[in-house]
Amino acid sequence: MSLLKVENLCSGYGKVDVLFGISFSLSEGKSLGIVGPNGVGKSTLLKTIAGEIVPKSGVVSLLGEDITGKKPEDIVRLGLSLVPEGRQIFSGLSVTENLLLGLTGRKDKSSSKIALEQVKALFPVLNTHAKHQAGMLSGGQQQQLAISRALLSAPRVLLLDEPSLGLAPNVILDVFEKLKEIIANKTAVVIVEQRAHLVASFADQTIVIRDGQIQATLSSADAKNQELLRGAYFGPGS
Amino acid sequence: MQAVLDAISLGGTYALAALGLGLVFGVLKLVNFAHAELITIAAYIMVITNDLPLVVSFLIAALSATALAVLTELTVYRRLRGTGPAIMLIASFGLSVGLQKSFELIFGALPRSAAVAPWMTGSIEMANLNITIASLVTVGLTIFILLAMGYLVDYTTLGLQLRAASADFKTARLLGVRSNRLITSSFAISGVLAAFVGFIVVVENPQVEPMFGLNITILALVGIVIGGISSLRGCALGGFIVGFILSVLNTYLGNARVYAYSYLFMAVVIILLVRPGGILSKGNEMERV
Repeated sequence: MSLLKVENLCSGYGKVDVLFGISFSLSEGKSLGIVGPNGVGKSTLLKTIAGEIVPKSGVVSLLGEDITGKKPEDIVRLGLSLVPEGRQIFSGLSVTENLLLGLTGRKDKSSSKIALEQVKALFPVLNTHAKHQAGMLSGGQQQQLAISRALLSAPRVLLLDEPSLGLAPNVILDVFEKLKEIIANKTAVVIVEQRAHLVASFADQTIVIRDGQIQATLSSADAKNQELLRGAYFGPGS
Repeated sequence: MQAVLDAISLGGTYALAALGLGLVFGVLKLVNFAHAELITIAAYIMVITNDLPLVVSFLIAALSATALAVLTELTVYRRLRGTGPAIMLIASFGLSVGLQKSFELIFGALPRSAAVAPWMTGSIEMANLNITIASLVTVGLTIFILLAMGYLVDYTTLGLQLRAASADFKTARLLGVRSNRLITSSFAISGVLAAFVGFIVVVENPQVEPMFGLNITILALVGIVIGGISSLRGCALGGFIVGFILSVLNTYLGNARVYAYSYLFMAVVIILLVRPGGILSKGNEMERV
């Protein structure tokens, strides 16, 4: 059964339509990449799935339950967590306080302590800086904090918006290595990325969005074909 | 000594009013002008129920102010959420005026008066100084409430969620912070704080009329601007500074006290010129990325 199913999703901002009939599904322990040029609606798609934007039409289902139009605070409790673009950590709060906030959306509070230990084991740097102000962490460390915070709600589906944004190449590889561990733990992961080649070679499947619609669906094997990826990304004649 | 105590007492009172305003602003980005009416309703109830034991009278006043705060959130602000800050601000103005007129209809346009806690108007001798009991109680009460608020904000889950929501409500919701519950809680706490302010003010000025809480709310708003509207500590500090300066000016200006507000606002302008974002504005925070 699909953990996450998106059917004919149309979304936008007020009278401005951004997405037109997006559909895909994602199973346990699988990853989906979403790529496309700037302004095509990649982040809008994640925000709509996570409940930040109410869709104009279409259905989003999580574990078989219709979550279309539900509030973000309810969706996270149902098992879907979003790491927003730009990380959006609470820079004035400590690393520990940021992590504690991640537990807010967790259903099973009795295992909170264990979950905290698990994310600290996955990202040991957070342990070192536990009492530091989160705004003082480096970009890579902040990204790790943002992912950890999202993981603490015990999501079955994790959405990541531009996890490589502003990070050095070696740090990006570190982050993607950690994502592999998260996926191995049976969490389904959706990654929106500007770096099309990086995510296409990482994810089990990648969809290319242009003009608010899915232009192509690529497997990880297809991602090696630069021509195919470029064609889907920039359109015919590129 | 009495002058210093009075200044601390008035500063503390304004700090509580500013804290109530700051709490709601933090989560809703709304300057709630109707906070004045929360202070007023608490003062009215204290006057009306002054024949009851003080604790009972205060509990009824606090419940009334809290209920009114929550009611305004549920019936007005919640429905307008997402319409934009200008509409919310105008709604808060409208609500404030509407409540004043309602008070006029219910309690009359003339001031309602009764000695609330008359024992507090007396004075005691300490180290050859004559100190009013009201000042001592106000200072003690304010310190207690500020410490309690500090504990709530710094050491409880609700406080952590309030701080997170003040910084970035969208992200807080993505993490599971329940927006309605948090906003209603903020209004409820602001109602309790308003009740304390109403009580403190009505003890020294037992003439309650429909605009009773307006002056202190406007000055508390000035306080949250100079303290730093983005931080609860800043709000409390700003409120304290405004009250403190006003009290000192009233004491030392003698016949020229009519100019107290001019000097106060001059001080405010100077503070804002030096620290445009307020004394404890977030601009102070170092951020690496």
